[in-house]
Amino acid sequence: MKVPLSWLKEFVAIEVTPEALVERLTFAGLEVEGLTRIGSDFKDIVVGEVISVNPHPNADRLTLCDVATGRETVRVVCGAPNVRAGNKVPFAAIGAVLPNGMKIKSAKIRGEASFGMLCAEDELGLSEDHAGLMQLPCDIPAGTPLIEVVGGPDVVLTIEVTPNRPDCLSILGIAREVAALYGCRLNLPSIKFPETGPAADGPARSATHSVAGGLTVVVEDTEGCPRYTARLLRNVTIGPSPLAMRLRLARCGIRPINNIVDITNYVMLECGQPLHAFDLALLAEGRIVVRRATLGEKMTTLDEVERKLTPDMLVIADAQSPVAIAGVMGGAQSGILATTRDVVLESACFKPALIRKTSKTLGLSSESSYRFERGVDIGGVDWASRRATALMVAHAGAAAARGVVDCFPVEPKGRSIVCRFDRVRDLLGVDIQDNEIASLFEALTLTIVDRSKKSCTVKVPTFRPDLEAEVDLIEEVARLYGLDKIPSALPHSQFVSGSADQAPPERSAQARALRPGEPGVNDAFIRATIMCRDTLVGLGLTEIINYSLVSEKLLTLCDAARTAQRIVLPRPISVDQAILRDALLPQMIETLGRNRSRQIAEAAFFEIGRVFFRNDQQAYTEEEHVALGLMGPVGRTGYDKRSALAETDSFLWLKGILEALCRKLFIRVDERPAYEGQGAGLAFQELTVAAPPALYDLGCFEKNRAMVITLDGMPCGVFGLVREALRREWRLVEPVAILEIRLAPLLERVTTVPAAERLPVYPSVTRDIALRINNRLRHVDIVNAIWKIAPKELTTVELFDIFSSNEIGVGCKSMAYSLTYRSGERTLTDDEVNRLHLGLKDRLRNEISVEIR
Amino acid sequence: MKAIAILALKEAALIEARAAGTAEALEQVRIKYLGRKGLLPDIMKGLKDADVSERPAMGRYANELKQELAALLEKRRAALEKAAAVSAPDSFDATLPGRWRAFGARHPISRIIEDAIRIFDTLGFTVADGPDIETEYYNFDALNTPADHPSRDTQDTFWLESGQLLRTQTSPVQIRVMESRPPPVRIIAPGRCYRRDTTDATHSANFHQIEGLYVGERVSMADLKGDITCFAQRLMGPGVKVRFRPHFFPFTEPSVEYDFSCHVCGGKGCRVCKQSGWIEISGAGMVNPKVFTKVGYDPETVTGYAFGMGVERIAMIRYGIHDIRLLYDNDKRFLEQLAQ
Repeated sequence: MKVPLSWLKEFVAIEVTPEALVERLTFAGLEVEGLTRIGSDFKDIVVGEVISVNPHPNADRLTLCDVATGRETVRVVCGAPNVRAGNKVPFAAIGAVLPNGMKIKSAKIRGEASFGMLCAEDELGLSEDHAGLMQLPCDIPAGTPLIEVVGGPDVVLTIEVTPNRPDCLSILGIAREVAALYGCRLNLPSIKFPETGPAADGPARSATHSVAGGLTVVVEDTEGCPRYTARLLRNVTIGPSPLAMRLRLARCGIRPINNIVDITNYVMLECGQPLHAFDLALLAEGRIVVRRATLGEKMTTLDEVERKLTPDMLVIADAQSPVAIAGVMGGAQSGILATTRDVVLESACFKPALIRKTSKTLGLSSESSYRFERGVDIGGVDWASRRATALMVAHAGAAAARGVVDCFPVEPKGRSIVCRFDRVRDLLGVDIQDNEIASLFEALTLTIVDRSKKSCTVKVPTFRPDLEAEVDLIEEVARLYGLDKIPSALPHSQFVSGSADQAPPERSAQARALRPGEPGVNDAFIRATIMCRDTLVGLGLTEIINYSLVSEKLLTLCDAARTAQRIVLPRPISVDQAILRDALLPQMIETLGRNRSRQIAEAAFFEIGRVFFRNDQQAYTEEEHVALGLMGPVGRTGYDKRSALAETDSFLWLKGILEALCRKLFIRVDERPAYEGQGAGLAFQELTVAAPPALYDLGCFEKNRAMVITLDGMPCGVFGLVREALRREWRLVEPVAILEIRLAPLLERVTTVPAAERLPVYPSVTRDIALRINNRLRHVDIVNAIWKIAPKELTTVELFDIFSSNEIGVGCKSMAYSLTYRSGERTLTDDEVNRLHLGLKDRLRNEISVEIR
Repeated sequence: MKAIAILALKEAALIEARAAGTAEALEQVRIKYLGRKGLLPDIMKGLKDADVSERPAMGRYANELKQELAALLEKRRAALEKAAAVSAPDSFDATLPGRWRAFGARHPISRIIEDAIRIFDTLGFTVADGPDIETEYYNFDALNTPADHPSRDTQDTFWLESGQLLRTQTSPVQIRVMESRPPPVRIIAPGRCYRRDTTDATHSANFHQIEGLYVGERVSMADLKGDITCFAQRLMGPGVKVRFRPHFFPFTEPSVEYDFSCHVCGGKGCRVCKQSGWIEISGAGMVNPKVFTKVGYDPETVTGYAFGMGVERIAMIRYGIHDIRLLYDNDKRFLEQLAQ
């Protein structure tokens, strides 16, 4: 809402600086977003009369004008297309400075001397208009200082009006606020005008059907249109509106058109009531019908667009067809023309939700619809009509036909609200006196109709539809009294239901930890997530956060198989953000690729975020996941970064991170066969076609370079190396290792309190074993075999060396393990250990085909 | 064996020691004469077989040999070391890069969220959660934002085929928490939100909010001011001030917007705060009784405050980030700059 201060001051005589007013309004809830200074004192700019216009000898588009300035006649070179002899236009003399800083000097333009400048409105800072010279009224004598014609410098405030305050979408509404804030009187403009002609039918408020002076109004939909007024103005003279009015409209961002249209807009800005003017001659049978549009009905609006109407839209129709979309925009066929003689002035009130819906459906909004959908003052409808009529009589030579059509079947009862003084003090936490509360209400013109010791009852005026309940009145107190005067209470800690340590018995903290995104208090899970994040950062990984919305291209690139379970936005804003991600890995790979393209050779990233998919029942499901991604020699320290990166390196670094994370989260990480597969803790399975549900499957992994992660036997995630073809999309030439796992199972044991166990009393003894084995045999096969035949004294098996050489032979490798023996009962002697170790070696030969070296 | 032979041996030993040019050569000399199987222990062993008259002199000379040779060896060793220190530098280099691996960096968004959780934890706030895919009821209706009301305009929504939507704010978590338990309630709820905003330097269709809610007996605007101020000072610095301006949100009444005083210039006015001294943060207010009624709380017995804040906005202010897109670009160099 743009508010020229000069206009506002006609309503409230305040003497404050614009800055002080901005501050006061902002802290009363009317946030001033902008303050623009307009115009100037226009020194050395006067009204000039164009005496003659002659072509410029050297330029087609320029003219040589002789301009009377009141004191002399000067020659001016002018480029405006609309310059005519006899025009009165602003003339800036030599030495004048325009508001935009331009200084007028004598100059030669294309060889012709020019002693001043004729100005357009934008050059004077009066509007954006640069279509031609500003045309001043002809009756002003040449030489009159421009400031006397257009007024002095002005300030325009841009105020952000919140949706609950439609009354403030007008100068009057803002003025009411100012009057309340500064305790000054509100001056209303005149709404008096003479009426002519025979007495028409008086107001027929109870009916939906009114007739006045040759005009019939029928309101068929009284719910959609609770009040409709019309006045008839005869013998209007269409022409430009007064300069002052045009300038004000321009300052408020509305383009002047003609006196009738300008007046409707002017009054709308003044009091917030949108008005519409029809040409009576263009209304079939002089009839106005307020009704729903019929199916298939069409109408061309003022912006020359044909609109398809539907029965849930309200229209203003004549006897035949719609002439306006109620509250939104008039029709092109019934508007005011230069030839219009009789005008029907509509001032009405429409149901806000209906206007909003229509406006949304048509994708058409206007100053009018903006106000109607927020709600106009039903009690101010006639005032606006009178005000506009008075202006039309004054500025368009109109003769107002006697009487008014006013279809107002149900006059709303004024609302009264009881406000308890204690409630005000309690809710605001401030000690404000009863009398002060009451006087704030009175300042807002809320009449106190009843008052007791504990409360008062106020009557709410029709222009404040937002005041519905006691709490709304308390808000009025808060903003007028000043939020800065409300003290800050000392913060205090309070444990309330839902605290982690007050979990309901039937649902332990741990049980809750299993439910990511569970609606409601979910303290344990979120705190565990933080711990998980801290751990990964501690392990050297950097956190990334990607958008939840991704492109179909990216998802399909990584996994073409699972399109059916994706959740696609029906109306995305762009193809890049069209689908809710069903996995974190595609963006992880993309992020690594983007970093690689910026010469970042090494990165270790993680993301914790939600994925979205349709479950087996097609219901939308969301789940918290963790993704990891490694690129470059991240696992190497110091100056060991240059040697080539093997697939195994990347893969095992990633595996190591997962193992470290699991240990931190109390998940058992152990290679003993008892824990593999169906056992407790972290284990791995071959990645086969039957990928676990809701997880990113084979699509992005290199064949035989990926594993399924199981936790306590449940498949929870996948990890491995990115398929080469996919890497190539981002020119990632080296191996890239990625992992995605469900967060909930990872956090399942996070609340575990570890129990202290007795440390071993007796020393351990270590013996090594080196094996020459076929490459087909894997580490896990050896470890499993050892554990299968292990004596109870064996406590750990650790791989400490692995190599291949010519001596070992093609297709074979040497693997060396360190075996630790310990007894819980006594110190083992060398002989005992040797016997155990030899026995184990013997049996191992039978267990698997190895050569013990 | 005569005493004189020992004297000769001593001379030979001292000559060899003087001639030894390296630490190793010195050690060889020591082993040759003084070592366990060296010449001197040999002499001492032979002492008992020697002529009685020779014995005292032999003993004295042997002792002299031992002491003088040891002293000379020590002197020579010191001299050699000194010379070595000048001529051949030690290969140990303490200035080589350290070998411990670096930490990673937390994303600034989660950093702000965790800070907020930690700060409000001290006031007894627990963390609550809710789905990103919400129903119209929780996102709008229960928050007193009916359909066909202009207050929905500010939150242009992504609707899904099912009629559900991507939540435009974290406020639905308020409703879910209040529905699930009786008052009092003290929660904060961080999470992702979605609006149909075209991405530019200050807008993102996908962003994060932190919601706060405190409901109890006689919770007042003064409590809201106190708690928000406490949060501001612990997040941005002890000198930060907070100011409140009246505003409108459908689910709070009275509603406010709050600003932090600029932590960069201390309120004097600078580029960060656009010379105003204040930085607009977000909205808050006293829970609208209509919302309490929806969740079955009695607005006559409980009151409460709620606040929301944009995480990206706070991150941008705190770290001086000029473009919101940097937060989703995930450039490693950018993220590591902000590691704390």
